[in-house]
Amino acid sequence: MIPLALLRFLRRTPWSTAMALVGMALGVASIVSVHLVSASISSRLDGLVPSSLADFSYYLHRENLHTHDYFELRRRWRSGALPTLERLSPVVDETAQIADVSVRVLGIDLLSQLPSGDIPTASGAFAFNGVWVDKSLKDTLSLPINGIIEAPEGTLLSDISVAHDLLDWPDHQLSYIGLVIGQAFAHGLEVAENLLPGFGAGLPIAKPNLDIGPGWQLVNTAEQYPARAFGKSVLFNIAALGMLALLVAWLLIYQVAVSWLRRLWPVFDRLHGLGVEWPHLRNYFLGSIGVIASIAAGLGLILGWWLATKLLTMSVPGNAVALDLSGWVVIKAFGSALAVCLVGGAWAFRRSQRGQPQTLAPLLATLVLLVCGLICVIQPETGLAGGFFAIAVLSLAAGQTIGPLLLRLKRWSSNIGGSYLMRVGVREALWHPAELSVALAGLSLSIATAIGVGLMVDSFRLDFSQMLDHRLKYDVIAEGNPASLEAVIKAPGSVAQASRIQHYRSADIRVDGALVELNVTHMDAFESSRYAHDKRLGDSEVLLSEQAARTLGVLPQETLRILGETMTVAGTFSAFGDLKPRLIVDDQSAIAEAMGAELKMASVAFESNSPKALARALKASSSTLEIRLQSDIRRIALNVFDQTFAITTVLITIALLVAAISVYIAVTTLRLNRQTGRQLLNTLGVNRVEQHLMNLAMGIGLGAVAMIVALPLGVMFGWILCNVINPRAFGWTIELQVSAGALLWPCAWGMLAAVIAGMLQVGDAEEGAFGGR
Amino acid sequence: MTHHSALTVHQISKHYQDGNRQIEVIRDLSFNVAAGKSISVTGPSGSGKSTLLNALAGLVELDDGDITLEIQDKIFSYRAANERARTAFRRQHIGYVYQFFNLVPTLTVLENVRLPARLNRRPDLEAFASTLLGDFGLSDRLHDFPEKLSGGEQQRVAVARAVLLRPPLLLADEPTGNLDSGNSAQIADLLFSSCRDQNIMLVLATHSHEIAAMADTRLHLDARPSASLAPA
Repeated sequence: MIPLALLRFLRRTPWSTAMALVGMALGVASIVSVHLVSASISSRLDGLVPSSLADFSYYLHRENLHTHDYFELRRRWRSGALPTLERLSPVVDETAQIADVSVRVLGIDLLSQLPSGDIPTASGAFAFNGVWVDKSLKDTLSLPINGIIEAPEGTLLSDISVAHDLLDWPDHQLSYIGLVIGQAFAHGLEVAENLLPGFGAGLPIAKPNLDIGPGWQLVNTAEQYPARAFGKSVLFNIAALGMLALLVAWLLIYQVAVSWLRRLWPVFDRLHGLGVEWPHLRNYFLGSIGVIASIAAGLGLILGWWLATKLLTMSVPGNAVALDLSGWVVIKAFGSALAVCLVGGAWAFRRSQRGQPQTLAPLLATLVLLVCGLICVIQPETGLAGGFFAIAVLSLAAGQTIGPLLLRLKRWSSNIGGSYLMRVGVREALWHPAELSVALAGLSLSIATAIGVGLMVDSFRLDFSQMLDHRLKYDVIAEGNPASLEAVIKAPGSVAQASRIQHYRSADIRVDGALVELNVTHMDAFESSRYAHDKRLGDSEVLLSEQAARTLGVLPQETLRILGETMTVAGTFSAFGDLKPRLIVDDQSAIAEAMGAELKMASVAFESNSPKALARALKASSSTLEIRLQSDIRRIALNVFDQTFAITTVLITIALLVAAISVYIAVTTLRLNRQTGRQLLNTLGVNRVEQHLMNLAMGIGLGAVAMIVALPLGVMFGWILCNVINPRAFGWTIELQVSAGALLWPCAWGMLAAVIAGMLQVGDAEEGAFGGR
Repeated sequence: MTHHSALTVHQISKHYQDGNRQIEVIRDLSFNVAAGKSISVTGPSGSGKSTLLNALAGLVELDDGDITLEIQDKIFSYRAANERARTAFRRQHIGYVYQFFNLVPTLTVLENVRLPARLNRRPDLEAFASTLLGDFGLSDRLHDFPEKLSGGEQQRVAVARAVLLRPPLLLADEPTGNLDSGNSAQIADLLFSSCRDQNIMLVLATHSHEIAAMADTRLHLDARPSASLAPA
């Protein structure tokens, strides 16, 4: 009889049932789409490291690394002196010109590991003197190819001896030693990374305690591959936003469960009055919501996959996007829907049955977490994860303030003046903390995130634009093949039309074990001013990008040993978008002389009275060079900047949409259970237009409550993103600018979402769970 | 203000559809009420008392017949008016007291009573709301929200709200059905005396024979749609 009563109830309230299904499906879809986008980016970033080196977690460097050093280390490892070390392997890693192609030659010990890859030869034969290459080199080299490997473009893998031959190195020379070091909680971290792609990049990296003696420099994967680390940091930012989407989606799913319970509660109350036991009724409730959650999870998976495909197509136009629905994403979708529904539903049932428990435990727990969050903000060692933990704790604390805030506003609400119908509408928004606080917490959180990210993006864009103002002092820039660049600076056409020609040479070097980009050019006062340095750079001076200063741990006026030379740090400069830490020295410095031919021409800049004519002449002289006008570079740079944040905007929009649906579901349930109040107003002669105005007032009331919480929270998010997250993720600082646009737009969207949720009355005509007179 | 008004119910019928089944609630019902007079409607549950009151309020459309309300020589026909016109008419000329849930929970006692004055843009009646509540013994509860009031107090507020505009017609749907005998008698006295004093027509649905006997005329509805009209 009871299932029959419930089924009839569902049939009588098809709109509520459909909204519960759609709301939950959208929540799951946002979880799935964010997961798939993150997983796709993570997979692409992993491709930046050749698969044969992917196992290494740390790398050991030293000057003039000799095979003796490797064997000495290996002997100590075998004797048990390095217990945390699981494996070590010598590596040759250098870029060389082979058959007129720039190739990264990687030499590894084939006796310890064979690369896995497709074997393209007809015989499938394997030769020790053969090589493995990425697919771009498959038809380029005249070497025996053992297989095609997953690796960045232009990578060649071989046995160490073959690499020595290709590079023309002596047999004893090595580049570095790859290490596999055991990590505590490795399995747990792997599961976390699978459930939340990008999660690992935000965790602080502790230096392992290895007794390896003097002269060695131990670097982690992030320092070894800065481009990958940079990408992973971007990914972690997306993953953190994904966590927000997940949190808001969970709030929505919980809201659906609570609303569902509130719709059914009068029926349960009467059934209990007839003698049906509470556990029995709870099981029916959980069973019905569980069925809805399962169907919604399936729909959400499909919708999320479609949404992720669209998002990726938008962020990387032109690239084919193929996303796999892995087991992890299915677990995450169904797990989120079912776990939140069943656990949250059971908790809500218990609260409805026994009343809200009066306990200080949640408040105390939040206070403890807030203190931990503060520590994470203060201590840079807690890494990116520390910054986002602080944001999560703030979100939790803000969410908990909604209920008490509504109670205070309810007490204050008798002071609200104006039209009586407006009073009714606004007070409706304040009078029902139990029904509305979860949905309002989600809405506040979405608005706050939009404000925080908006503040960060606006501040970033301003600093970025100022950096471009400094940097783009030349009229025309040429980039491309070093030989072509060398030719262009000597070409009579370009020399005649240019009032100044500045050429830049660069090379990758290691300083204190860290891979950095060394730029060499003539650093007169004009050139120095491009890097915010107001005078000529001395021969023993160096300018550091912010990332380089952070990586190397030096401040202006301190000294730094670079390639055996002692250099004074003359200053630091912003370098937003740089993948690697960067050093700049004058072309007359000892370092420039020591590097000699290793420095490759990277770009040439021209000043000219007729830049367009010069650009045309340069294009005509060399078809392989990329010639750009200053205005083009600014436009492209700002376009790239905006595109970078496109996914962020979409993720926030999804969170806002999901939050609005959550508010709508909560408001609809509230209305359905209070239909008699509306009937009464109708009897008093309140017409439809006035009812819409009341709903508008209610929506504005809901939006206002959300904003009371969201505004300060959003500014705090913005501050943390600018001053904690960005320095830790990318090494650069952004000065927080509190712009009106960044504050007002999210508020406007949030208010609109609340007003629509308040005014939308589809489904209100359904019968309530009980009639009234 | 003295009303020259009259209510005429002429051969009205109303049915509801339940799937393929047609449930006839009112058939060919006719009666009149003059200004300042009252009529009580009795009958078993399901006999159509609430439907009749809702029809008199213009909340449900009639299948047949018509209801007309004559006010100061102007006649308002329910059948000729659309939903919007009926709503506007109800706002101005009809008071309604329910059995349950008859106050807006988010308005204070005084705001609840003043609500009809505000809706009709009658600021001249706002002071009268306080006077009325004082007369009804609620002067110390003006700024309380309804949730803090007892059932009897809530119903007194509802009566005050219904008579504030001195409407020509007041409808009361089992107004004492949820009250103890003491409060029931008090509310009934309030309703009848207010209507008599202000020349308001009262249509009151009730299960109580004592209260029904207080009306000038009694209308009894049977479970099957037939009615008998008798003087009290």
